[in-house]
Amino acid sequence: MLMFSFTSLAAVSMALAGSVPGPRLLAALLWVILFFAATVGMDRIFLDEAAAGTLETLRLYAPATAVLLGKLAGAFLTLVVLSALLVPLFLVFIGGSVGAPFLFLSVLLLGVLGIAAAGTLTAALSAWAEVRAGLFAILTFPVILPVFLPAVAVTAELFAGETVNLHYLVAMGLYDLLLGVGASVLFDYVWGG
Amino acid sequence: MKPVFRLAVVFLTLAVCGAVFFVVPPAEGLGNLVRIAFFHIPMAWMSVLAFVMSAWWSAAYLRRRDMRDDARSCVSARLGFLFVLLATASGAIFSKLTWGAYWNWDPRQTTIFILILIYGAYLTLRASVPEARRRAVISAVYSLFSCLTVPFLVFILPRLTFSLHPSPLLGGSGRVEMDPVMLAVLAAALADATLIYIWLLRRDSAAAKEESLHEE
Amino acid sequence: MTTGRVTLRCAGLRKRFGRQELFGGLSFEGHGGEILAITGANGSGKSTLLKLAARLLIPDDGTVALCINDVPVAPEAYRSHFAMTAPEMNLYERLTAGENLRFFPSSRGLTLTDSEAKRLLDRVGLPAEAAGQPVGQFSTGMKQRLKLAIMMAAAAEVWLLDEPGANLDEAGRRMICREVQGAAREGRLVLWATNDSTEEGIADAVIRMGRGESRFPQGTDQRASL
Repeated sequence: MLMFSFTSLAAVSMALAGSVPGPRLLAALLWVILFFAATVGMDRIFLDEAAAGTLETLRLYAPATAVLLGKLAGAFLTLVVLSALLVPLFLVFIGGSVGAPFLFLSVLLLGVLGIAAAGTLTAALSAWAEVRAGLFAILTFPVILPVFLPAVAVTAELFAGETVNLHYLVAMGLYDLLLGVGASVLFDYVWGG
Repeated sequence: MKPVFRLAVVFLTLAVCGAVFFVVPPAEGLGNLVRIAFFHIPMAWMSVLAFVMSAWWSAAYLRRRDMRDDARSCVSARLGFLFVLLATASGAIFSKLTWGAYWNWDPRQTTIFILILIYGAYLTLRASVPEARRRAVISAVYSLFSCLTVPFLVFILPRLTFSLHPSPLLGGSGRVEMDPVMLAVLAAALADATLIYIWLLRRDSAAAKEESLHEE
Repeated sequence: MTTGRVTLRCAGLRKRFGRQELFGGLSFEGHGGEILAITGANGSGKSTLLKLAARLLIPDDGTVALCINDVPVAPEAYRSHFAMTAPEMNLYERLTAGENLRFFPSSRGLTLTDSEAKRLLDRVGLPAEAAGQPVGQFSTGMKQRLKLAIMMAAAAEVWLLDEPGANLDEAGRRMICREVQGAAREGRLVLWATNDSTEEGIADAVIRMGRGESRFPQGTDQRASL
């Protein structure tokens, strides 16, 4: 996951060869790298357990809510650590300066939370699939668009030094909540018989 | 499906086609191009209706565990995928001919594009889960999960971008600024598309249920 | 066990794998205090039947229900009444035996004290110092014993055993017979998939599966259980 994100960062950085793109493109690049880096690690949340044979043991003993919350919290923390390492490097090597660090941090956390909430459920779904190449990204992307698009919009405003439309942040927060509640309700069916 | 129903649908379809080409007057500013709209709007309506119905039957499956609900959900999604592609194609052609570009990420175009992604993801997921009962649960869960995007598509997306789509039809201003003949033909076209959907759905659901239980 | 009388009812079960169908509408009922042996050739569906009982798999037809004092348990709480040992249900190899032994019951809200953990390891014939070793270093037989200890720790009314003696020595198989009989005396229901005639001998009833020939090719069962 980490190495993948560094590689994609390096690819973008080298391809740009020192030229600094506009704020919108910068924001888009940042979130595209973050999303695909997340998919590389997150699709394995349940798959690793299925491969090791512990998934069935866990299904038998552990209740759905506990598993979902545990996996979601784990995914969120992983993504926070990933962004903590990736974003500073992005700002240094590709560009972009942020005048409002607190707002920037909020957008990152809200965006990453949405990816974690949706991704935990879709990772569980894809653990039952036989053809898995790319399935996680295919399933997750449409569902996180409501977080992804405002995140890019707000990040672009921050990179451009414009005033940020706080409604977007509120909308992102609400949608994160919706994703979390939806995932926990639906996960019962995935986990159950 | 009764032959009477099929005959009625075929007749209505012919009538609508005839009306679109010979009765509807060329619209002001758009000319004959307006005729595309009578294909485009019903297709867009059907792709949304099929999406909602697919989710509805997904919920029904999770509640009742009846494989017929799963088959209906699947067939509805397949039809919806077809409709959404037709709607996108006809919309893009209309857009090119009237506004000069095939695509410009207008909110409705974005919405329909997200629908394509969701339909595609749902059908890919169905194709990759081998066990019938498990596939039914997994795809029903995804179908309902993807419904969470609806409030975003309706309330937030229109604020992120501006629209080229004419508003009076769906804008909810209460007053429909449209030629009465056009309106009547459009209503008939929408009804016709809905009936075609019901026809195809009935025809395919029974077959899909058998298939889902026997394929591996 | 003080939760009351448990009854497991399976009715009209069918499960298809591809074009093959298992069980042909099997129905049976088991009560707390009983040992039900499930016998049959490889591929006759013994493991699948246990997984259907635990609702790890969904039947294509038929119902599986658990009642306590004739009151059906809610779907959310269903599995919490079950504990299971099966060859393909593995433990966390990187965690120690003690951590595995505490983790699975704790996910159900049960806390195991040190002395309880030690006593469980002793009952299944694992040395106390095994608690500190990663499960990845265990032999197959030792893992099997640890799975049994976890099953005992889970405080479940129904035990599902899928050929638990397969990887064990003579002493291990005797231990299983002793534990199963003890569990039945405490009022638990034990479903025991086995092809061992001694083990079958201590059962109160036997469910015989299939006609002896393999109903589906090797490997299908494994994939379906994922």
